[in-house]
Amino acid sequence: MDIDKGIGKGRVGVSPAGAGGGDRSTAPSGRATAASPIEFRLDAASGVPTYLQLVHQVEHALRLGYLKLGDQLPKVRDVVASLAINPNTVLKAYKELETKGLTAGRPGQGTFIQATLSQVALPELTALRRSLLGWLGTADGAGLDEDGMVALFTSALRDFYERRSGSRTRGGAASGETEGVA
Amino acid sequence: MSMNVIEATGLGKRYGSTWALRECTLAIPAGHVAALVGPNGAGKTTLLNLAVGLAEPSAGGVTVLGGLPPGSPAALDGIAFVAQDTPVYKNLSAADMLHLTRNLNRRFDQRYAEARLAELGIPLNRKAGKLSGGQQAQLALTLALARRPRLLVLDEPVAMLDPVARHDFMATVLAAAAAEKGEGELGGVSVVLSSHVLTELERVADYLILLSQGRVQVAGEVDDLLASHRMLTGPAAEADKYAERPVVHVRRGEAQAHLLVRATADDPVPPGWEAHPVGLEELTLAYLREPGAAALPGPGRGRHTQPSEVTQ
Amino acid sequence: MTALTMPARPKHDAGLRPVPWRRMAWVTWRQHRAALGGVAALLGALAVYLWLTGLQIHHSYATACHPASSIACTINFTGRYATSVNVVRVFLQAVPALIGAFAGAPLLARELETGTFRFAWTQGIGRWRWTLAKLVLLAVVVAAAAGAFSVLFSWYLRPFFAAGYAIPFATDVFDLREVAFAAWTLAAFAIGALAGMLIRRVVPAIAATLTAYAGLALATALYLRQHYMTPLLTSKLNLPGSAWIVSQWYTKGGKFALPARGSQIVNALQHFCSSSRLSPAQCLSQHGYTWWARYQPGSRFWPFQWIEGGWLLALSVLLIAATVWLVRRRAA
Repeated sequence: MDIDKGIGKGRVGVSPAGAGGGDRSTAPSGRATAASPIEFRLDAASGVPTYLQLVHQVEHALRLGYLKLGDQLPKVRDVVASLAINPNTVLKAYKELETKGLTAGRPGQGTFIQATLSQVALPELTALRRSLLGWLGTADGAGLDEDGMVALFTSALRDFYERRSGSRTRGGAASGETEGVA
Repeated sequence: MSMNVIEATGLGKRYGSTWALRECTLAIPAGHVAALVGPNGAGKTTLLNLAVGLAEPSAGGVTVLGGLPPGSPAALDGIAFVAQDTPVYKNLSAADMLHLTRNLNRRFDQRYAEARLAELGIPLNRKAGKLSGGQQAQLALTLALARRPRLLVLDEPVAMLDPVARHDFMATVLAAAAAEKGEGELGGVSVVLSSHVLTELERVADYLILLSQGRVQVAGEVDDLLASHRMLTGPAAEADKYAERPVVHVRRGEAQAHLLVRATADDPVPPGWEAHPVGLEELTLAYLREPGAAALPGPGRGRHTQPSEVTQ
Repeated sequence: MTALTMPARPKHDAGLRPVPWRRMAWVTWRQHRAALGGVAALLGALAVYLWLTGLQIHHSYATACHPASSIACTINFTGRYATSVNVVRVFLQAVPALIGAFAGAPLLARELETGTFRFAWTQGIGRWRWTLAKLVLLAVVVAAAAGAFSVLFSWYLRPFFAAGYAIPFATDVFDLREVAFAAWTLAAFAIGALAGMLIRRVVPAIAATLTAYAGLALATALYLRQHYMTPLLTSKLNLPGSAWIVSQWYTKGGKFALPARGSQIVNALQHFCSSSRLSPAQCLSQHGYTWWARYQPGSRFWPFQWIEGGWLLALSVLLIAATVWLVRRRAA
C-alpha cells in the first residue's frame, strides 16, 4: 500500500515490492528480481544527497514495518541498475546504516537488518491503523477527496511537529537531516 | 585496486597550429566512475582518443591501466571504447557484431552478450543500422562490456539519446561498475565517460575532471570536491573584503553576493554570512565561468588566482 | 529496468597471447563478402561468356582452319570472331582496375569515412594486425581469382594465336594472360588500399585508384615492357610472326634514312612501291634500303610474363607494407 503520493518536496518514501511476489511493472522481463522487501526511489530535485535519501528510506521502512529484523536490503547492483546511480553512493549509504547499527553486511550474501527502529509495538500499530481508518471514513463522509485528505494530514503533521519542537532548519549543514519537515 | 586507470603527465595534442589539449596532468584512480566534463571543444574527445591509442601525443605522455602504453596489446585488451555516435557496422546484424567482436578479442562473454540483448529486446538478426539510436548505443555498450574490460571509456555516450534510453544506458554502465567483490569494495569495471551535460552528473560520477579550453581545471573525487567547497552568501559590500579562503567565483546582486570558496564545513563563517554546501552542477558551472581557477589534487598543482566578477 | 545479467569478472591473465591470426578470416569474409561477391560475379559472368563463345570458336577453328591460312578459315573463323575478340580484350583491360578500385579502395576508406575505425582499431587484435590480415587475405583471394580467370581467357585465345590473328606479345593481350593478369589485379588492389588510407573517403579513393592504375598500365604497355630484356637487333626480313617488333627503321648506305612511320616513309613508298605487290620492307630493300628492327622473340613471352609479374608483385608488397605502416603510425 502506498501512503506517499508525492507528498511535498523533500519527502522521500518507499513503496513496497508488493505482496504478490516482487514483480514490478517496470521490469520488462517480468521476473521476480529482488529478494528485498523494499525498493528505493530517488528524488533528484530534493537537494538531499542521494546516499542520505537511501538511508532515510531504510529508516522509514523500518519504522513503518516494511523491513523487519533479518530482512535483506536490495543488492548494490540492483539499486544501481534501477536508479542509475553511482555504486559508491549505495555503498556509502549502506556503510552509514552499518555505522548506525541498523544493518550488518554478510560477505558474499548482502546487507541485512539487524536492529529495528520501531518504537511502537505491533498491537499499538494495529490500533493506530484502525483509528486512522476510522478518521479516513469520517473525512470521506465529509466530502474530502484523496488529495484533500493528504493535504489536511500533511499540514496537521507539520503543525504538530512545529508546535512540539520549534523550527528544525539548521543553516545548511551538509549532513543535516530534513526528515519530518516538508 | 590502487592503480591509476589513466595517468597523464603534461599531455598535449596539437592539430596543425591549434592545441586541442595542453599541459594535461591527471591521475584517475581505478574503481571509480569518472566524468570528463567540459564545453564543446574543450578537448574531451582528444583526451579520450589519446588514452585509447587512437591518437599520438604531441607533448607529454599518457599511460593506462597502471603504466601501459595506450594502443599496446595489453592496453587494447583491458580497455573497451565506445566512441561518440557509437559506431557500429550498419550493415551487420547484432549477431554478426557479436561474432565479429568475439573474433577480434581474446576475451568475450558470449552468453552475457546474448542474454543482455535478449533482456533489452534487441533482435539478433536485424541490421544494426535499422535499430533505434538507443538500441545501437546499448548494442555498442553490450559489445564493450562483453569483452570484460578493466576500463570502459565512453565518449559522449548519451548525447543523442532520449531520456529513457539515457537512463537505461547509464544504468547498464553503472551496474557494470558495481560488480561484487565483497562488502565495501568495488571490483567491477572502472568507467571514464565524457559529457557536456551537467545534470545527473552528481548521481552518476564519483570522480570529476573538468576540462576547459584544452586544460584541466578541476580533478578529484566528487566527495572531496564537494566537501572542500562552500557557498557563502552575504552582503555584497563585504564581498571584496573576504580573504579568509580562496574564492573561486563571485555572483553579486545589488545587496547580496554569493561567493564560491574553497573551504570546508569546519572553516569559520564570517559574521553576517551564511554557508551552504554546493552541488556538483553549481560547482562545475562556477569553474567553467572562471577559466583561470583550478582545483587540482596534490600540493603545488592548484592555482589560486583572483577570479573575475560576474554581475547579475 | 533490470540489469541483472552481468559479465563474469575478468580473470587475471598471466601471459598476453595475441589474438590468433586465423580469427581474421571470418572477419574479413563477413565484412567484405559484398566486394568478394562482386568480384566473383564479374569474373563469373565473364567466364561464362568466354566459355560459351570459346567453345564455338574452338569448334569453328577446328573445322575451318586446316590449313590456318586458307580462305575458309578467314571466312568462317577470323572474319566471324574478330570483332568479338577485339571487344573482349579491350573490355578485359578494365577488369583489374575495377577489382582494385572496388575491392581495395573502400577497405580502409570506408572505415575512416564512417568512423567505424574507432571501433575496429580499439579491439584487442590491434590495428596493424587487423589491416595486414585483411589486406593479405583479400589480395591473395583476388589475385587467385584473377589468375584462374585468365587461364580460361588463354584457352579462349588459343585459336586466334594458331590462326595468326593475334600474337601473345600484343599490347592488349599480354597483360591479360595468366601471370600478368593476376599480378595487375594484385597491384590494382594494393593501389586501392593505399589510396583508401591516404584519401580517407571512398569515392575519391576509387577515382584515384582508377587513375593511378590507368597511368601505370599505360606507362608499362607503351614504354616499360619492351625493355625487360634488351631487344634483339636484326635486318632479316623473314622474322617469324610471333616476334614483337619494338621499333623499326630503314637505313641506306649505312646511315639512317627513314623511320618506320611518318610522312617520309609514306613518300618513299609512294615513290618506289606504289605498284609493287611486295611488303613495304621487301620493296624498299630492292631499292637500296636496309630494314632494321629491334624485336623481342616470341620465345621470351614467358620470361616477360614472369618479369612483369615479379615487379608488380614487388610493387604490391611495397604498397601493402606502406599501407600497414601508415595505419600503424598515423593517428585518428
